[in-house]
Amino acid sequence: MPACRICRYFTGPLLLLWIITGLLVGCVGLPKSELPVRPENLPATREIAAVPFYPQSKYQCGPSSLAMALTYSDLPITPEALQSQVYTPSRKGSLQMAMVGATRRHGRIAYPILGLNSIWPEIAAGHPVIVLQNLGLSWIPVWHYAVVIGYDFIENTVVLRSGTSERKVMSFHTFGKTWARSEYWGLMVLKPTQLPAIAREKDYLEAVFGLEKSRQYQAAIEGYQTTLTRWPRSLVAFMGLGNSLYALGDLIGAENAFKMAVVNHPQAANAHNNLAQVLFEQGRKQEALEAAQRAVAIGGPMAEVYETTLKEIQSDN
Amino acid sequence: MPRMKRVQKSVSILMAVLMVMISTPVSSVFAAMIGTEALLVNPDTSGARDQLRSFFDRKDVQSELTARGIDPDEAKARVDSLSDAEVMQLADKIGALPAGGDAGGTLLFIAIIVLLTLLVLEITGYTDFI
Repeated sequence: MPACRICRYFTGPLLLLWIITGLLVGCVGLPKSELPVRPENLPATREIAAVPFYPQSKYQCGPSSLAMALTYSDLPITPEALQSQVYTPSRKGSLQMAMVGATRRHGRIAYPILGLNSIWPEIAAGHPVIVLQNLGLSWIPVWHYAVVIGYDFIENTVVLRSGTSERKVMSFHTFGKTWARSEYWGLMVLKPTQLPAIAREKDYLEAVFGLEKSRQYQAAIEGYQTTLTRWPRSLVAFMGLGNSLYALGDLIGAENAFKMAVVNHPQAANAHNNLAQVLFEQGRKQEALEAAQRAVAIGGPMAEVYETTLKEIQSDN
Repeated sequence: MPRMKRVQKSVSILMAVLMVMISTPVSSVFAAMIGTEALLVNPDTSGARDQLRSFFDRKDVQSELTARGIDPDEAKARVDSLSDAEVMQLADKIGALPAGGDAGGTLLFIAIIVLLTLLVLEITGYTDFI
């Protein structure tokens, strides 16, 4: 949209209306920001000095923030290499989902951050956090990605790698206000062998599944195994592990994963079904038949699939 | 364009889109395996994903994307790496998501919403100017 067209809406009597609207939105429209609260067992100050710094070029705060986080996770990469995956030229910026997608396509866990106070344990554990801030006003936003690498509960400040500043020190007040406008959207980039300091099973599984979906099967396998170290009976982790191994052609590995699933969850028809399939593909028809029949006997919403599997095995001569 | 021909054109566009959606290849060779996605508790969003994919398959969408500096294959690859829940969110909010990059102006987002809305209207036959 050419600039002149926009200006037309800001002149004359409309200008007063805009100012009033802007003041109202500015006062009323700001979301309630939380106050930083330091959990008792964490050190008062912490800074992850080892996070590398990539100064951003124009509009490229998305690629530079992600490059810093990925490089810190032992995947050396430059902002330029990420541009095509992360930067959307017509938006002059990087969509949040593109940041998540690019993280996954490089075989890393993209773990969501929810809320202001969830970052302190992560920083303390040595996990930098990418945040989306609005450095402008709520009605004229200036969106910006930066990486939080430290906090100081004595000075009440945070330290960020931001824009062209290797160490940008920001007061809790300003940090809270600018981050609140994205509803505290944050992203942690972790290796699939790492867990967050505060780990939620569903979020971690979603992140690992994102790897499987992006065809990063080896990373997904590691991620599901990491899930099982923390949640040793997770059915979704067993199934994901089996499916990822299957995708890599490791039928024996997949069989073991599905077997662990049925041992821990004997009523999980999905596990019996998939076990049947991998046994069948190894030519172990009798065992496959029994597994498929168990699935059909248990039934459930996916019953049609179990019938298909059973028929497939029965009709093979 | 006379009314009957307009209806026919809309139907044929719709059929083309449906054919693209149906012929989208499945990721696993054996349909008898239960995928991990089915096990994560997510809303049924295969429609949203197919919808996004079919948009990017259209020639006019692809030329619009290229004009905006987005590689259509790249767009599809980005969609593929998201879970169903995230695809839903993207399909819902594509006009409202901020793009962090120090660029000002919510007015930029309108261009994308308008583009997608125009395409939806064309497919469902409400408009006929493409």
